Parts: sequence; structure tokens; C-alpha cells
Amino acid sequence: RIMPVRWSRYNPSYLEPEVKKESYQKPLEELTEEEREQMELKAVRPIKAAPPTLSSSVFSDPMISKFTNMMMKSGNKVLARSLMSQTLETIKRKQLEKYHKAPENEKVTIECNPYVIFHQALKNCQPIIGLSNITKGGKTYQVPVPLTDNRKRFLAMKWLITECREHKHRRTMMPEKLSQELLLAFNNEGPVIKKKHVLHKMAEANRAYAHFRWW
Amino acid sequence: QLDRGCALHTAARDGLSSVSSQDVPAERPRAVFHTSESDPAKHTEQHEGRLYNIPLEEVKAVFPHGLPHRFQQQIQTFNEARVMVRKPALELLAYLKGSNFAHPAVRYVIYGERGTGKTMTLCHVVHYCSRQGWLVLHIPDAHLWVKNCKELLQSSYNKNRLDQPLQASVWLKNFKASNERFLQEIKTQKKYMWGKRESTEEGRPLREVVEQGLARVRSASDAVGVVLREIKQQSHRGSFRLLVAVDGVNALWGRTTLRKEDKSPVSPEELTLVHNLRKMVRNDWTGGAIVTTLSQTGSLFKPSSAYTPQELLGKEGFDALDPFVPIPVPNYSPREFESCYGYYLERKWLQHEKAHTEDGKAELQFLSGSNPRQLDRLAGPL
Repeated sequence: RIMPVRWSRYNPSYLEPEVKKESYQKPLEELTEEEREQMELKAVRPIKAAPPTLSSSVFSDPMISKFTNMMMKSGNKVLARSLMSQTLETIKRKQLEKYHKAPENEKVTIECNPYVIFHQALKNCQPIIGLSNITKGGKTYQVPVPLTDNRKRFLAMKWLITECREHKHRRTMMPEKLSQELLLAFNNEGPVIKKKHVLHKMAEANRAYAHFRWW
Repeated sequence: QLDRGCALHTAARDGLSSVSSQDVPAERPRAVFHTSESDPAKHTEQHEGRLYNIPLEEVKAVFPHGLPHRFQQQIQTFNEARVMVRKPALELLAYLKGSNFAHPAVRYVIYGERGTGKTMTLCHVVHYCSRQGWLVLHIPDAHLWVKNCKELLQSSYNKNRLDQPLQASVWLKNFKASNERFLQEIKTQKKYMWGKRESTEEGRPLREVVEQGLARVRSASDAVGVVLREIKQQSHRGSFRLLVAVDGVNALWGRTTLRKEDKSPVSPEELTLVHNLRKMVRNDWTGGAIVTTLSQTGSLFKPSSAYTPQELLGKEGFDALDPFVPIPVPNYSPREFESCYGYYLERKWLQHEKAHTEDGKAELQFLSGSNPRQLDRLAGPL
């Protein structure tokens, strides 16, 4: 007998949990026919367990949680989450110090919201085109290939984390390193953006092999 | 007779007079939760829940040590030091204003759960006393003297005791920075010998003792002992008022994590600094007050749920401090929470767009449980 746990195989009759507060605050009259049917179905069917990453907090952000999961080592989510919050705080402090010292006309240009900086930096780091190894006639060629959105996001986050872990001084703390990298990426500078440009150049150089791709 | 005026630098005094007058008309009016009254002597119940500003030069003069680390970071980020006026602090200030200095010193113990603002209350009281011209003996954290000590020397004065040169010299440096005026005016009453050749004559200003302690680090703990002794003996004369402010007083009567060279544990009375401080906290002197704080955060071998004086001080400590006036510090009241939240919004500390909404505010209040430290930690990444 299998206990219903997230990673075990659920019976198809189990429904996903509903987390958004707004859906429970609507009064009965405003619901359409389909929604009324859905509610009656939920009263009868069992519901799957909510995953730990799902949160009803207004402050939760799926990109931030993905990034935290990638930073996590050996399941230590507490440490990863505290590092992430310290990074966001460090970014905010640096930007606020700059903001308070800047003259009036420059204050508008300085972005202080760490979430905006994080999202923009990730967007700037995402490559447009990737390379994939295709073996033809005994030789392996690096073929330029389009990337899905998920793959682009994954590559951007992976590059940021590896850059911080490997190419910095051993004694600097992760929040400090990460905040520096994110601020550089926000301004389109820094080693991660350089890596993205190198990848683009390689793809441009290997244009001749583009027809090897069959998908 | 000592000059009873402000113990502050003249530049800070000029800054004071401009702040207490009307706001410059070009500035927009400050919000409800601020108050322009920056003199703690004039704080009353109507200022409760509001934040008052301490000019930055005054912060450097009055608090060379003693402010919590996160508050110091906040001062640096916002470029101003704003302290909230809360009920426990107002209560303490009222007691201090009405106390009779011919009687022995009254002991006040500020206690409360973790992160409710005990150290900040202590800093408020220290600020008030330094504005009134008292001599402030502020020990930022007594726990730092009973743990993580790299060097322990055997004391030359008493064979059984151990010296801590590093901690003593750091404290002497900060004490000198905050109380320049008094060190010049208080004179020693006895001749003190530092080793075979150096000595301080009778009638020299205390500043020389402090400088001796800073120059010869080996005798720094003895210098601290001499300073404390002289101040205690001369306080009853009435030429100055003395405030002994100790943060984490439960460290003086607990256990230490230090070990002697033969790996036997050190008990607190074997440390010169702790021994002298215990003598200071006894109420056998007149002309001042003793304000102390209990702290579980830095304490050794105490469970994290302990916050009452009985649990943290133990039997020995409680008997030594008994009788005292207990002052509990609770979490933020709804009004204080509103004021803190409004301050963060005004200073652009809460940057997340959802944090400006009612939902975000309700969530912050729920998650932090109106605890000041939790609110500060939660508002950091937002």
C-alpha cells in the first residue's frame, strides 16, 4: 500500500491543491457554472500534498525559489534560503547607499529594488542560441541550436552560481560575491555576460554546421 | 565643582540647536511617527511609538561601542540614527529623574524575550544620561569577556586571578573616547604601582591611568580595576553622577567557556574584569544608578527559551542583584508596529511592490509576531 507522498505515484483522481487566497474569497454568487462544478468536485475528491516550494505568501517568487534550489547543497534549504535573503539585502543596501549619496537628478536612474535587479540581471545573462554536440561520420561537431525558455533560464542561473563559487577569492561570503555579480550583470558587464557573448560568437562561427540539426 | 553642562563636542551642540527649532519650510513636514524632539529628557507619553533622531556626531561621541550590529548597519544605510521611544524606556527615565542620589544606587534589570529591544532601551537611557552630563560606564556586552578569549595572563596583582589584556584594552579605548571630560577632572586618591618601575602618583588625572593601560597592554585589566575603584569612591561626593550600564549582566554569574593551561575550567570570579565589575554592580555606593540588561543570545549554557531573571541569573546572580527593579520589554504594540513599518516605507527599505499593500503589511505582522528583531530580519530581503 503506497502512502500518498509527493514523489510517489498518485491515483489519477487526486487533484492539485489551490493556494491563491483570492479564489477562496469570492462569494458564491459570483462563481460561474464551471467554477461551481469544480468546487463540488473538490469537496468529493482527495487532494495531493502541497510541495514545499508552493507558498501562499504575497512575497514568494518562482524564479527566486528556483535559484535558491540551484544554490542548495545536500538538501540544506535553510542555508540556501538565508544566503539568498542576505544577497537581496546586500544588493538593497549597496543601491540605497548609492541612492542617498547621489544628486537629485541621478536619483531616478538608480534602481533600488533587489527583485527588479535580479530579474533584469538574469534576463541579460540568458543566451539566445546554444551549441549542441552532434556526431556525424565519426566526428563530433558543435552545432548551433535554438534553446527553450527553461533551458535559457537554467543556463543563466548555472553560470552565475558557478562563477561565484569558482572564480572568486576563497574567503569572500556568498552573498557578497553574488550581489556583486548580479549588479554587474544588471549593467551588462561582468564575466557572465562575457561568457554569454563568447557562446554567441562560437555559434556564429559554426554557422556552417547548422544544417546538421534535424529537429 | 565639575561643570554640569553637556558632555558633548561643540559641533554636536550646534547641530542640536538647529534640530530642536522649527523645520526649514523647504522640507516637507515629517510624518506622524517621527518626532523632532531629540533630547531624551523631554520625551513623554505623547512621544511613545515615535522615532527620534540622534545626530551622527553625537552617535560617535556617546556610542563608540554599545549599539547592536544591525542597528549600526542601518545607521550607515539610511545615513541617520532613529531610535523608537517605547514605554519601558520612558518608565526608566521617569525613575531616574525622580531618584534621590543621596541613597544607595538603585539597580534596574531590563529583561524580555529575544529581540524585543532591551539593548536599544539601554542605549536610550545611556543617551539621556550623557545628555544630562553623567559619567557613563557602558559595558557593551559582558558575554564577550567570558568567552573566546585568545590570551589569558596570570594577574600580577593577585596570583589566583586571570587577566584579559585584549578585551580590557579595547574597552579602555572606547571608554576614553566617550568620557574625555571626566578623565581630565577626576583625580586619583592613591599611588598605584604598575610593575617595578612605573607608577601613577596621587592626585594625577584618571586619564593617565587609562593611557598607562593602553600603552602597557599587560596591565590593562588592572588599569580597568583602578578606574572602576576610583570612580566608585568619588561618586558619593556629588561632583558627578555615575551610570553603570551593563549589557548581558547574566554573564557575570554564569559559567565561562575559557580554560586554563592545564585544561581546567575557569569560573567567572577568577577573571579580574568580572571580579571588578561585580564590585561595581553592588549597591554600596551613592550618587548614581545601575541599569543592566539580561541577554540570552550571547549567554553560555542557558536554554534558548529562558528569559526571566531567575532563569538567566541563576541563584548566585539573583542573590547578588537582589533587590532590583525589573523592567519587562514586550514586543511591538500595534501602534509601534505601524510606526516602524511606516519608517521602513519612508526610507525606501521595503522595496517589494507587495510590501506596500495591506496584505503585505498583515503578512509581515503575522510572520514577525510583532517582534522587532524578526521584523527587521524579514524586511531585509523585501
